[in-house]
Amino acid sequence: MAAEPPGVIGKGISIRGNLSGGGDLIIEGSVEGQIALKNHLTIEETGVVQADIEAERLTIKGEASGNIVASERVAILTNAKVMGDIKAPVVVIEDGAGFKGNIDMDVKLPDGIL
Amino acid sequence: MANVIGRSIVIDGEISGDEDLVIQGTVKGKISLKESLYVENSGVVEADIDTQNVEISGSVTGNILASEKVELKSDGRMVGDIKAPRILIADGAVFKGNVDMDR
Repeated sequence: MAAEPPGVIGKGISIRGNLSGGGDLIIEGSVEGQIALKNHLTIEETGVVQADIEAERLTIKGEASGNIVASERVAILTNAKVMGDIKAPVVVIEDGAGFKGNIDMDVKLPDGIL
Repeated sequence: MANVIGRSIVIDGEISGDEDLVIQGTVKGKISLKESLYVENSGVVEADIDTQNVEISGSVTGNILASEKVELKSDGRMVGDIKAPRILIADGAVFKGNVDMDR
């Protein structure tokens, strides 16, 4: 993939509305609305996102509320606070993270269960 | 000494107690413990679980209420709701359900 540097929404920036596009994105500021991204979205410690999020990969270190759909992976790191429903094949929650909501990993149940 | 429900054991009913419990076999019904529950790789649990700590490397279907911590390890598979102050889900774990960390 092209080594395009990630976009950054800095601490002083607030966005209200829809955000969409390709390329990686780092949010350090605040976003309210809707996010649809083709690649990797990172919400940094200072980031506050109130939005439904669609991305390939999502890493959350800050605050996020809204529903999340990721085609690859969602990681909720230690000091993150997340509220909403998550749908992704891989969801990782670290110790110390706060989360409230539903998780759907498209479970393929092994034999012998259910 | 830890209590172990071995691979070839199947329990259908209720388990309660105040010591750690390791499940390698199959348990259906209800589990309430004052200490820690370990569901190992070979363990299959279809039960509502009420304990202090739960560590899952096997399969669990049911709801979990833990007073301290629930840890879903990379081999763990779980369907159901979890309510606990600390919840960890490792890479590779499979989970479907609701998570509530309200402290």
